[in-house]
Amino acid sequence: MTNVHADLLGGLADEEAERVLALGSRIALSAGQVLFNLGDAADSLFIVESGRVALTLPLKLRDGHQDVLIEERSPGQALGWSALVPPHRFTLKAAAAIDSEVLALPRAALFEHFAAHPEVGYAVTRNVSAVVGQRLQVLQTMWLREMQRVVEIRGVRARSIS
Amino acid sequence: MEMFLMAAVMSLLAVAVCAVLFAAATRDERGEASRPVVRAAREPQHFFASTPAAPPRAETAAKEGTEPELVPVEALLLRIEQHIRLEQAAAESFLHHPTGESLHSRTTSRLVN
Repeated sequence: MTNVHADLLGGLADEEAERVLALGSRIALSAGQVLFNLGDAADSLFIVESGRVALTLPLKLRDGHQDVLIEERSPGQALGWSALVPPHRFTLKAAAAIDSEVLALPRAALFEHFAAHPEVGYAVTRNVSAVVGQRLQVLQTMWLREMQRVVEIRGVRARSIS
Repeated sequence: MEMFLMAAVMSLLAVAVCAVLFAAATRDERGEASRPVVRAAREPQHFFASTPAAPPRAETAAKEGTEPELVPVEALLLRIEQHIRLEQAAAESFLHHPTGESLHSRTTSRLVN
């Protein structure tokens, strides 16, 4: 984590950020390797150190399920915030898009550190809230746009039936 | 006298036949006149009534007894992912400048067009 500024650690002094990063362990992923599956227990939060991690959701297409890319995480970006939010289950699947490295920060170690250093816990929680809130707003808007389309399609069908 | 009676009977018969034919003809016209209202209601409405609507491909294929043309799964996946990217961009644009127009801006996504 030398050249990458993690969005999760914004607002922390360098030494504070280093102490948080020291709680983690590095995981090397080859292209296509799964980091976690949808529904897995979310015990760790991850920060991408190098490469790219794809977040996907299964979509039922014809006779099977296909993973549909929702978004990608680049170096410095966090993923797996379900580790901090009950019920601690991942709601997406994460896999390396290319050879990548991530830092895994266990929830237990993070919470222990936050209890001992509340100002660090506050800053990290604020950063996580920003990520979660932004995603919620984007998804809410996307859902509303889809609903509008459904209403328009149903309106056209109703007109053609009557 | 017999000739006169014969002519009278024939005339009455001819009048009766004409009356029956007239009644039959006018009943058909009345029936026809009341039918168009029903027909108009049953016909599907189109914005462009003069343009013959092309039947959906799946429907045509079903009539012809052939399989509808399927987009390969890989192409469909690419289309879905492009749709998601476009929708995310549209949503982020709305969040930067929230207005009714930007919320419901039209998409160029081929998945829904």
